[in-house]
Amino acid sequence: MKNRLKVLRAERDWTQADLAEALDVSRQTVNAIEKGKFDPSLPLAFKAARLFKMQIEDIFEEE
Amino acid sequence: MNANTTKPENLKKRVSRSAKQLFIWTFAWVASLALLAFGPKFIWDFHVVVSTTVIFINLGFGYKMVMANIKHINDLDEMMRKIHVEAMALSLGVSVVLGAIYGLLEGIKIITFEPNPSGLLFVMSFSYMIGVALFYRKYA
Repeated sequence: MKNRLKVLRAERDWTQADLAEALDVSRQTVNAIEKGKFDPSLPLAFKAARLFKMQIEDIFEEE
Repeated sequence: MNANTTKPENLKKRVSRSAKQLFIWTFAWVASLALLAFGPKFIWDFHVVVSTTVIFINLGFGYKMVMANIKHINDLDEMMRKIHVEAMALSLGVSVVLGAIYGLLEGIKIITFEPNPSGLLFVMSFSYMIGVALFYRKYA
């Protein structure tokens, strides 16, 4: 699954650690999601969407 | 950034607290196991009541350790939890495969000594640690 987390994070000048804290996950998890190595659960995807004030499909996209 | 200010306890604190609890109960369980292994011979001269009491204490600590481990796994974030679940699957599989063959070795005259079940605990622990390292690398 592709995602725009890295771009959205960069636009806000957040570090991976900042985003990890906001999503209540580890920095390694944010890194793995950004690299497409780990697909987040639906609740985590919703949390990210709420954080960025966007729709889930605007952040995550099926490959 | 203050997007997370309403959270009562963040991941790091939560995991640290549950890991500490897991360490305490694991230490208590190992200590009571050691007491049970050496106490009857060196301390209370195989007194059945004392040994039985220590067995129940050991089982109680074992229960607390298992529950602390479950809580610790649940306190991890979803990727870390997946890493540990995959490592547990590896550990269980390796232990079943090696344990089954190890149990047969004496019967088919490959080894002359009776297989010791504690060897299985070592295999389980070692394969679990290897699994965590391998699956951590997979997602890194």
